[in-house]
Amino acid sequence: MAKKITETPKTYPILGRWMNWVDRPGNDRRIFHILIVICIVSFSLEWTYEKHAYFDIESYKGFYAYYGFVMFAGLIFVATILRKLIKVRENFYGKKSIDTEDYPEDQIQRINHDA
Amino acid sequence: MMLDLLHQIPTAFLFFLAAGVILFLPHGLMRNTVMLGIPIIAAFQVWTLGMGEFVLIPFFGFDLEFMRLDRLSRIFVLIFCLAAFLGNLFAWHLRDTIQQVAALAYAGSAIGAALSGDMISLFFYWEGTAIASVFLIWARGTEGSYWTGMRYLIIQITSGVILIAGVALFYADTGSIAFEKMELGSLATWLIFLSFGMKCAFPLLHNWLQDSYPAATITGTVILSAFTTKLAVYALARGFAGTEILIYIGTIMALFPIFFAEIENDLRRVLAYSLNNQLGFMVVGVGIGTELALNGTASHAFAHILYKALLFMSVGAVMYRTGTSKASELGGLYRTMPKTAIFCLVGAASISAFPLFSGFITKSLTLSAVAHEHYTYIWLALVFASAGVLSHSGIKIPFFTFFAHDSGKRPAEAPLHMLLAMGITAFLCIFIGVFPNFLYSILPFDVDYDPYTMEHIAGQLQLLFFALLAFAIIYRRGLHPPELRAVNLDTDVIYRKFMPSVLSYIAFVIFSLFKGTSSLLKFSVIKFTSKLHHSHGPDSPRAASWPAGAMVISIAALLGLALFVIFFS
Repeated sequence: MAKKITETPKTYPILGRWMNWVDRPGNDRRIFHILIVICIVSFSLEWTYEKHAYFDIESYKGFYAYYGFVMFAGLIFVATILRKLIKVRENFYGKKSIDTEDYPEDQIQRINHDA
Repeated sequence: MMLDLLHQIPTAFLFFLAAGVILFLPHGLMRNTVMLGIPIIAAFQVWTLGMGEFVLIPFFGFDLEFMRLDRLSRIFVLIFCLAAFLGNLFAWHLRDTIQQVAALAYAGSAIGAALSGDMISLFFYWEGTAIASVFLIWARGTEGSYWTGMRYLIIQITSGVILIAGVALFYADTGSIAFEKMELGSLATWLIFLSFGMKCAFPLLHNWLQDSYPAATITGTVILSAFTTKLAVYALARGFAGTEILIYIGTIMALFPIFFAEIENDLRRVLAYSLNNQLGFMVVGVGIGTELALNGTASHAFAHILYKALLFMSVGAVMYRTGTSKASELGGLYRTMPKTAIFCLVGAASISAFPLFSGFITKSLTLSAVAHEHYTYIWLALVFASAGVLSHSGIKIPFFTFFAHDSGKRPAEAPLHMLLAMGITAFLCIFIGVFPNFLYSILPFDVDYDPYTMEHIAGQLQLLFFALLAFAIIYRRGLHPPELRAVNLDTDVIYRKFMPSVLSYIAFVIFSLFKGTSSLLKFSVIKFTSKLHHSHGPDSPRAASWPAGAMVISIAALLGLALFVIFFS
């Protein structure tokens, strides 16, 4: 779950302070509810047009909705299992890989916001 | 007059010329002006040149065709120019001559390859992209990037070697080196196909992509993401359009990376998997091979280069400020990098194909082409892959970088030139999505297609929002796989771990056997000679009975034998 940070110092960019709305208490629930409403609206659009389906399965009411929901959940589920099978420690490939390397400091400009 | 002169020069050479010129210019405004100016001049040249075949150069009895401009090559050249411009703008801060020269030579090679009318010049440019691009990986200057660059180079050069072998056989079979549509069947065409497939990251040949792109420099990855693989897509579209096996290869390509991307921690590697998945859609389009499908492939490549560059830029900008691209180390950056966050969201919406963004108007061409040819399962798989794109590129990249749990990092906003590069790219992503006809008008074939039908919009919105709903539920319940510092095995483990360890095991066994037998031999020979010495040596009891003239007698016997032989021969 997102950690709630409510303070937004005035020094932050104004866009950043606006966007901080998403992290205000209770707003994650609000976003979730908005999403549900959007889903219901997009589902109800089904009755506003006539389908010209190429395949039988496509012509079912709300095919895309079911398919999107189920397949997405399935994807996460399978990926979780896959991780159990193929996850190895970060330095598995040792020095011949960039996995554990730090990015060279001379090629970046690490600046903090208040600096 | 100037324009006539410009039209005489192959487009690739403009880039090579610029790569030479910048060596003599000081770092800063002048050099950067050339870096940004040359893609614009090149695009202008191609745009004003008209269709046809230009610049024929004789080469050992062959006519090399350096400029074959038709509608298929033109769209790829134009997007390559645009990508070079945006990539160079993003890299405005660079003071590294090697990377700048490499970027120009790389873009030039890719453009040259796309314009090649014959397969010998294609081969030269093909290898050119390999050699130029590896410097963008090595420029990172670490041990890891050195080895990764080596692996990348070996695979890329191998692809070129296979290509020229195929071309030689093709010439022996047909007497032609023209780069036209081919039929799979002979060894020659299979080799050429394999060579294209390696660069296109076909399944099992794909791992160089996920291995090398995250190892390049911040700006290098943005440039790498545009050229090599899309050049391979172009080559497939040119040479193997309508080859059915590509439909199945493309579908597997679109599917398997989404699982890997979901659990990968390095966000630039997530994007590399995502790139692989997007290539799958394009390859399916090539496999279908109808006008609608090839339009789908070309337009998808065009839109994809933009939104993929945008995503790589936004993650790159974060890396530039925080030093890392690992999801486990990031989060909550929108507070101080809001503009980068918004550009990243635009890229995410584009790749996820939300209506009004570029992915929507291009991916639907391919999907419609698949549906039109009644490939039900392929279509279902691709619709699933579209939902998969949402999961890793649409949600994972922006959410775990800029939102989700707060990492406590408060980096400053990206520098101006990066914001500008991202801003222009984001604008283009939306512009193409809102006004699809601009892109449709430069596609290889005339387009009679309206992506914005109610049915289409509603279907896509349902797919995406219900997938988002699934994510929201899974995430709120804490079931989403957490971001962990770890590496996931892929097929590259075969040549990075198994093969070296098998080889070193075999080497160990052979070495031990050799050492064992040789020491055994040595030991037994020494033992035997010492026994002989003991029984027959000067100090042995037998030596006491030897006559003093033993040597004289044996020489006399030998001479007698020689006389005997000579007498009878």
